[in-house]
Amino acid sequence: MAGSYLDRQLNIADYALSGFIRRLGRNSVVVFIFALVIFMVASFSLTTTSLKHSASRLLTTVPDITVQQMSAGRQAALSVTVIEKLDGIFGIRSMEPRVWGYYFDENNGANYTVIGHANFSDKARIAGLGIDFLPALKLDADADPAVLGRGVRENLELGERRTFSLFRPDLSVQSFITVGTFSAETSMVTDDLIIMDLDSARELFGLGPDDITDLLVDVANPLEIDTIADKIGERLAGVRVVTSERIKKTYRVAFGWRSGFGLACLFGAVAAFFIFAWDKASGLTPAQQQEVAILKALGWHTEDVITLRFWESLIISALAFCFGYLGAWMHLLFFDGILFRPLLLGWSVLKPPLSLVPVFSFADLLLIFSLSVLPYLAATVIPAWQSATIRPDSVI
Amino acid sequence: MKIELHTVEKYYNRGAHNQVHALRGIDLLIDASETVCIHGPSGSGKSTLLAILGGIIGPTCGSAVIGGKKMARLPDRFLTLYRRQHIGFIFQRFRLIPELSVLENVTLPLLPLGIRPADRKKRGRELLQRLEIDHRRDFPADEISGGELQRAAVARALINDPSVIIADEPTAHLDTRLSEDFLTIMTGLKRLGKTIIIASHDPLVSASPVVDRCLYLRDGLLCAAS
Repeated sequence: MAGSYLDRQLNIADYALSGFIRRLGRNSVVVFIFALVIFMVASFSLTTTSLKHSASRLLTTVPDITVQQMSAGRQAALSVTVIEKLDGIFGIRSMEPRVWGYYFDENNGANYTVIGHANFSDKARIAGLGIDFLPALKLDADADPAVLGRGVRENLELGERRTFSLFRPDLSVQSFITVGTFSAETSMVTDDLIIMDLDSARELFGLGPDDITDLLVDVANPLEIDTIADKIGERLAGVRVVTSERIKKTYRVAFGWRSGFGLACLFGAVAAFFIFAWDKASGLTPAQQQEVAILKALGWHTEDVITLRFWESLIISALAFCFGYLGAWMHLLFFDGILFRPLLLGWSVLKPPLSLVPVFSFADLLLIFSLSVLPYLAATVIPAWQSATIRPDSVI
Repeated sequence: MKIELHTVEKYYNRGAHNQVHALRGIDLLIDASETVCIHGPSGSGKSTLLAILGGIIGPTCGSAVIGGKKMARLPDRFLTLYRRQHIGFIFQRFRLIPELSVLENVTLPLLPLGIRPADRKKRGRELLQRLEIDHRRDFPADEISGGELQRAAVARALINDPSVIIADEPTAHLDTRLSEDFLTIMTGLKRLGKTIIIASHDPLVSASPVVDRCLYLRDGLLCAAS
């Protein structure tokens, strides 16, 4: 007469689901509050992951070593002739001069980051930054090609136009033609970015024909980066030598402590919810107590009642998890993580708005599930054991 | 199923200031297929006696031997199995779960047995058809009449095909016609060879021809039998 263990579980789960629907009003409140808690934790986690992903994607293009000239504690122009001084260092695969500066657009009150690459025409190399190249266009001989961030395009109100102009320091006009736009995924640092040819950048900033702001050094063996950085420091006076690992570490530390601080704050909300869940599970209504007594008098074991409570808790927590996680995903996708972005990026960031793209991480999903559903089950099933020991004689 | 009680005593809150001595040395033998009515005033210990006979509680002293097994010696788990396999309860006020449908209430005892939904439904509907309330199967229990509630409670008690039916004041909240209907149902069950134990202070029950024997309980003592 008795069915399988699975059939028994399915029957009790089915009964738990019907019980959830019967007490929909009361359960909805719990699901809503729990979903809100999960939404906050998941939003935070997803925003952090998205930022880290954007950063790590960008950092793959960071040179192994960046050399900058310092003067009176501030960055100054570096002569491209330093390449000759470093030429003999064994282990350097290539060196690339770069101009990196900021252009203030008075009309829009915005700062753009301008980078001039020596090999700007090498599309394959800069494609690592995520560029959507526009269809080839017959170039205007007077217009220099440039790749723009999405924020720059919007600020300049280019629309479908490809050409735009910027002012040189002597207030003469320099024309550019857009050959590509950075993808939304990299908006975190490309939103305000304009990339152009090295000479175009020199011209825009009024630098001399030999001047650059950085020298990018590519090292053949990643294990030798630190050694070569030391050698560069020894050969050139008054330079700052920054390794890629140092830049990555700066990013990790910046996002790491902000994320940790935020999660620590949210743990208060999570803990408060579990206390609420424990309290709710401990205090059965008289109708619920009578229901347990009836079930036990009808031949339900204590373990059957605990199983019932387990399924009820699982339904509530699984629903809350789905709603909360989905809400967090939508918060990031459609609202750019507006609730937590200021905390993670810093309140004083004056960059144009960046577009965050959610990144699915199974480890994050598992972590949020472990921090929400499992503690809820523990917080409700343990009191449920107490309620399951109600004696059936109370119905007689 | 033969039921024997030997000098059964039952205390509640024993040793405390609010101690209740509910049963005082009950000796009782109920044969298989016998229908027994236990009557007596409120507070006489009828419900306690039913709870012991139904394996819901154990006696404080003495022994209850049901189907050859000593109930006092069995742990809770086995008492539950005993109830599940052998006992069909009809509670006072019927104790159906109000928000569940009649059919869901009737099939409740089958859930932990792992009986599949289609089989549960089939068995539940067969019983509801026999008791002539199948047309109410999808109604919530709190939306049906007293007579229908009673039949639903009987259907729930029979769903496991138990050998013993225990009914606690089954006619207490029913009018005469519904009480007679209940006794007609019990007559049908008696014909099927069920052992039936009814606790009632309704004279209609104790005088019914379906009852083989009446026991009178007063202040926890079995005073007289007829």
